[in-house]
Amino acid sequence: DDEVHVRQMVAAVDPQEIANFDQELRAVVQESVEQRKLELRGRPTLNMMLPMNVFEGSTKDHHGRVVGGESGDEALDEELGGKEVQVKVLVKRGNKQQTKQMYIPRDSTLLQSAKQKEAAELEE
Amino acid sequence: EETGDEDGYEYGKGNFTEHACRYCGVSNPACVVRCNVPSCRKWFCNSRGNTSGSHIVNHLVRAKHKEVCLHKDSPLGETILECYNCGCRNVFLLGFISAKTESVVVLLCREPCLSVNALKDMNWDLSQWCPLIDDRCFLQWLVKVPSEQEQLRARQISAQQINKVEELWKTNPDASLEDLEKPGVDDEPQPVALKYEDAYQYQNVFAPLIKLEADYDKMMKESQSKDNVTIRWDIGLNKKRVAYFVFPKEDNELRLVPGDELRLRYSGDAAHPAWQSVGHVIKLTAQEEVALELRASQGVPVDVNHGFSVDFVWKSTSFDRMQGAMKTFAVDETSVSGYIYHHLLGHEVEIQMVRNSLPRRFGAPGLPELNASQVFAVKSVLQKPISLIQGPPGTGKTVTSAAIVYHMAKQGQGQVLVCAPSNVAVDQLAEKISATGLKVVRLCAKSREAVSSPVEHLTLHYQVRHLDTSDKSELHKLQQLKDEQGELSSSDEKKYKALKRATEREITQSADVICCTCVGAGDPRLANFRFRQVLIDESTQATEPECLIPLVLGAKQVILVGDHCQLGPVIMCKKAARAGLAQSLFERLVLLGVKPIRLQVQYRMHPSLSEFPSNSFYEGTLQNGVTINERLSSGIDFPWPVPNRPMFFYVQMGQEEISASGTSYLNRTEAANVEKIVTSFLRSGVVPSQIGVITPYEGQRAYIVNYMSRNGALRQQLYKEIEVASVDSFQGREKDYIILSCVRSNEHQGIGFLNDPRRLNVALTRARYGIVILGNPKVLSKQPLWNGLLTHYKEHECLVEGPLNNLKQSMVQFQKPKKIYN
Ligand SMILES: [Zn+2]
Ligand SMILES: [Zn+2]
Ligand SMILES: [Zn+2]
Repeated sequence: DDEVHVRQMVAAVDPQEIANFDQELRAVVQESVEQRKLELRGRPTLNMMLPMNVFEGSTKDHHGRVVGGESGDEALDEELGGKEVQVKVLVKRGNKQQTKQMYIPRDSTLLQSAKQKEAAELEE
Repeated sequence: EETGDEDGYEYGKGNFTEHACRYCGVSNPACVVRCNVPSCRKWFCNSRGNTSGSHIVNHLVRAKHKEVCLHKDSPLGETILECYNCGCRNVFLLGFISAKTESVVVLLCREPCLSVNALKDMNWDLSQWCPLIDDRCFLQWLVKVPSEQEQLRARQISAQQINKVEELWKTNPDASLEDLEKPGVDDEPQPVALKYEDAYQYQNVFAPLIKLEADYDKMMKESQSKDNVTIRWDIGLNKKRVAYFVFPKEDNELRLVPGDELRLRYSGDAAHPAWQSVGHVIKLTAQEEVALELRASQGVPVDVNHGFSVDFVWKSTSFDRMQGAMKTFAVDETSVSGYIYHHLLGHEVEIQMVRNSLPRRFGAPGLPELNASQVFAVKSVLQKPISLIQGPPGTGKTVTSAAIVYHMAKQGQGQVLVCAPSNVAVDQLAEKISATGLKVVRLCAKSREAVSSPVEHLTLHYQVRHLDTSDKSELHKLQQLKDEQGELSSSDEKKYKALKRATEREITQSADVICCTCVGAGDPRLANFRFRQVLIDESTQATEPECLIPLVLGAKQVILVGDHCQLGPVIMCKKAARAGLAQSLFERLVLLGVKPIRLQVQYRMHPSLSEFPSNSFYEGTLQNGVTINERLSSGIDFPWPVPNRPMFFYVQMGQEEISASGTSYLNRTEAANVEKIVTSFLRSGVVPSQIGVITPYEGQRAYIVNYMSRNGALRQQLYKEIEVASVDSFQGREKDYIILSCVRSNEHQGIGFLNDPRRLNVALTRARYGIVILGNPKVLSKQPLWNGLLTHYKEHECLVEGPLNNLKQSMVQFQKPKKIYN
């Protein structure tokens, strides 16, 4: 029942409203970009430090298995098609760098494109 | 003993956790982010609900807010999203990118960091950048979309509601979606009607108006904080600490009254810890000094005098009681009789008479003889379930009311409830009723028990303390202990409270008449009382819901006394006033066709002074109960232009000015002449307490007080004792001599406050012996009523100009009145 209800809710969205909102959203993005361009005259510079240790061991699991799990879990995960991949997200808190672990769906655009790239590199 | 109604109406607020989506209420930490704009800081979820974009994206786009922070329990922890390279926090520019390998990810802004060449050199494929906001949602792996279950349980907010609430947040960041449904936030509230289908409809109309007024009152009072206040310490007779200080009043009409609650704070210094205490205003001195009795006497920094702060402590009690009364009116069939129920709602009801044997004489012991119109009033109201008595100024409505109450009490239908909106009026009435020999209890709000009252011996708290029976000795002992020690042990306190409550009940039950303010009738101490007969004095100064409080205690016979030709209730919130909250129940009943019984003989004004008000406001029906001889100012040598006519209009051409605060007016020439007139009165033998100076503007009031004390020709103290106040604060009172300063003198602008005929009526009818009006006829004559007044003064050769010791008739030309007042 719930599903039907939810579908109805989704169906209730007015396409015109979506179009309008899309337009507004694009305008905000555009405006932000232009504002940035105005604010930052001159060439952008690289100003970040990537802690090298995050890359260590990354090749081992770049095929997308859940790292750190027991072998049993791994199998289960494989069975389900390995829906999620653990990634390290680099964030800054103030000026401090931090590395956070989190799971990203295997089929997310971010991973899909990264994978394609890696595949291409391997071919080379 | 608080009734359930009292706290019922705030229900439903604060149901959401802090991080719940402000649109839909979803509060799963994995699904929400906080808008990081300092003035906003609201949480939103990443669900679309039935709108085009997710709630957070909707908010950011609508509000043009651009920064967010993740929840502390989300996978990334409490993190402000920003570009890893440049720190840009604009979420519309941010996106994720894999750093060399798919398992390491960073946030990068698309402008300019996506075009940094060094990154390409590091072998990053910048074409794979993935925006944070995708398909009008945040990336769903970063901020989860709530489950279907969660979404179904959430509030279903529409795009329209989102737009509305976003608009509302621009002016009121704390508003909730509930506020949208309440009228008065984004549109005008529903106006009051003449008739109502039922009490629910009545409640639907009035409840939002009362809420509006309450919100306004709260906002205004709580903004009255003052710093750097200097305190003078004292100890009251009850051994409680009293702080004296000056709390200057602003132009915004906020008047402190005894019983108000204030918080006194001291931020501390090397020798004193920070301290604060709440207290009640017990009096206001003539020098505008406030006496605040503190609730707690311990730890008061009495050796410090400077650097205190004062805040107003707003109480919702009176508004809660109005809401409660409307609810009772709707849901409780026994709250009022059927006849009264239908009558109040404007339904056609067959006229009913009250079957009571009438007394042989209508006066009452201890009261002056009644005149014909007063006798008529008493006689008719005793026979009717609902009556209105209109008492023009000085016509003895208090005496008439007391006589009515006397006869009702003698009918043996139970206790009579007597109310009025103001404490002053209740005290006056209680005194008169007590004079007839009836047993009266004056019930005061707990916060006013320390406020001195002319009828203290009638107050419940006094009677509890002084009840002289031996079985009350236990209570007296505990009371004494409490007075001496300041507090009791918790078991003694419990015993004390129980004994006190029982004694209060006993005294209240044995009274013939209970007197209290309209709001006081909602006191929990009366919760179990029923009153079939209710009289409300000054009812034209109460709002309808206020009047309802005493009525819903079982009324079968209702007498409303007042005068709808004088000022109505004071409504601070303009929106509520426009919607009709300023119209009293008395007025609506008049509009519904209930004919008020008018008292016709006035005993206050010199006949010359009553002539114009009688003709202009009372169709010429006002008769004089005083003769010219009884109002001769014998021995007073004052330059009245026409002897035997103690009145004149003193033509003033001085400019009006905006007061320093920018919100009021003053007029220096008028102020200077007020001082000359006052001085002339004082010189001729009038004492300060006989004189009242009325001016409609706070700016002018303050200026006159200041000017007289600095420039007065006589002793300063004399001028300080003269009451200078607004028209409104003189309502219900009288002075022997009145000086009215009109202030407004700008030909291109209106005359503001003076435009209200009811205010003019009140101003003109305060004086017993004589009146002087100062104003600019050229400006005032545009208004038809003022034009009439000026013509009246001119015809009687009382329109004058020149120095006070050589007044000459003025030939100033009037303007044509703009339109007829209806
Ligand atoms: Zn925001
Ligand atoms: Zn939401
Ligand atoms: Zn950047």
